[in-house]
Amino acid sequence: MPEEKSSKSANPAPKNIKQIDPTNLGITWTDGHESVYKVRHLRESCPCANCIDEWTGVKRLDPNSIPENIRPTKLHSVGLYAIQFSWSDGHDTGLYSHDLMRKLCQCIECQ
Amino acid sequence: MSDQELQVNIIAELKTVIDPDLHKDIVSLGFVKNMEVKDGNVKFQVELTTPACPVKEQLKTECETKVSAVKGVKSVDVEMTAEVRAAEHSQPILTNVKNIIAVASGKGGVGKSTVSVNLAMALQMSGAKVGLMDADIYGPSIPKMLGIPITPPKGGADNKFFPHEQYGLKVVSAAFLQKEGVPLMLRGPMLGGIIQQFLQNVEWGELDYLVIDLPPGTGDVQLTLTQRAPISGAVVVTTPQEVSLIDAEKGVRMFESVKVPLLGIVENMSYFICDGCDKKHHIFKSGGGNALAEKFKIPFLTDIPLVSAVVEGGDKGVPIIMADPSSPATKAYTKLAGQVASQLSIIHADKDKPASTFELNWEG
Ligand SMILES: Nc1ncnc2c1ncn2[C@@H]1O[C@H](COP(=O)(O)OP(=O)(O)OP(=O)(O)O)[C@@H](O)[C@H]1O
Ligand SMILES: [Mg+2]
Repeated sequence: MPEEKSSKSANPAPKNIKQIDPTNLGITWTDGHESVYKVRHLRESCPCANCIDEWTGVKRLDPNSIPENIRPTKLHSVGLYAIQFSWSDGHDTGLYSHDLMRKLCQCIECQ
Repeated sequence: MSDQELQVNIIAELKTVIDPDLHKDIVSLGFVKNMEVKDGNVKFQVELTTPACPVKEQLKTECETKVSAVKGVKSVDVEMTAEVRAAEHSQPILTNVKNIIAVASGKGGVGKSTVSVNLAMALQMSGAKVGLMDADIYGPSIPKMLGIPITPPKGGADNKFFPHEQYGLKVVSAAFLQKEGVPLMLRGPMLGGIIQQFLQNVEWGELDYLVIDLPPGTGDVQLTLTQRAPISGAVVVTTPQEVSLIDAEKGVRMFESVKVPLLGIVENMSYFICDGCDKKHHIFKSGGGNALAEKFKIPFLTDIPLVSAVVEGGDKGVPIIMADPSSPATKAYTKLAGQVASQLSIIHADKDKPASTFELNWEG
């Protein structure tokens, strides 16, 4: 076929997602970047309508209300664009788009 | 020269045959299978990633010519076969379906269902196992286009049901779930319920390709389906008119937002071929589909002419691709199928492809 174009989209997507230890999640991206996330930081950054005001974008979640020993219980992909987390505090309404996950990366290069 | 030495030389020669889609030689790709060399008589198979490969004949000729030219070869027998590669996904639905192709359009009436039917038929006619899901639950039109009488689907175990079969295609449609406008299987269900049924409860068996005819537009049903079904790639159909192109762009953006790979754009009713001459008459401003493809850096798959026999085929229940093999529309649909199959093969070959669906249970 003559077309040289690729149907890949330009934004990187997670290629491998794994638990590193009880409090850290690791993602290897399609562009080779390696991210390590503190799970507490992810819980604090939940983008759902309960945690962020839909209209103003202001954070409604008080980080102090999150239990000290917060952990995910389970995470799974939603379609090809996002990750959904279930948390040990029972919260499970947050859909973390791949773009958001990438923005949340706290490595020196990204921050 | 011994047959063994000869085989080494033949393999070396086959390493110069490049798959134009995957940009690699057919030996490294593992396509060359079951080679036998006996007294200079050579026999082998080339296993492609789709029976709808548009360059199948070209590759076959190249293999024959190159191997024949190797010193010591007396005869060459190349058999072209195909094993469709499966898109990886771990969602517990549609597990026996290797590739799911969504056909979408922003605007209604642009020929999406006609494209879905003829694309599915073209893939089937190439030798693949193909299913067709009429997800246009507001206005199901696939059964009519394929001449399938409206009868309730045959039920199976655990609430499952079997697709209808016609012309070698397996078909599900909301049209089958009702009789005289009254839903048979689902009483007062929401539309989302039907979609869920289609995704979870159909006994497809093994399929190489499942084509989904989405309802027109970019509303909730479309979004739900594109999020829930593990779609391997999407085809967006447009006509050359500005109003259609604007809506097609919305369709492209919808797939981008949920990260479904875009296989490309089809421009339907692109030009007119009258009975008197072979000339292409561009009735509308042409090239809009191509421009859209370029804007989003996705492939332009093909344009399809406006042919009155396409309408007749749809009305009579015999798709043009079966009714008239020589029609320019048939050629366009066949080309489309080849392009779609190639794009899917390219996606599967992409080593940097993202993790497909996954589930992770946190320990500790
Ligand atoms: N290439 C073509 N040449 C001529 N007529 C065509 C062509 N493609 C489609 N048509 C006709 O245009 C009409 C609309 O096509 P079709 O039903 O496939 O569109 P659609 O996008 O699925 O519409 P809807 O939005 O209602 O689902 C039909 O009568 C069909 O036969
Ligand atoms: Mg339709």
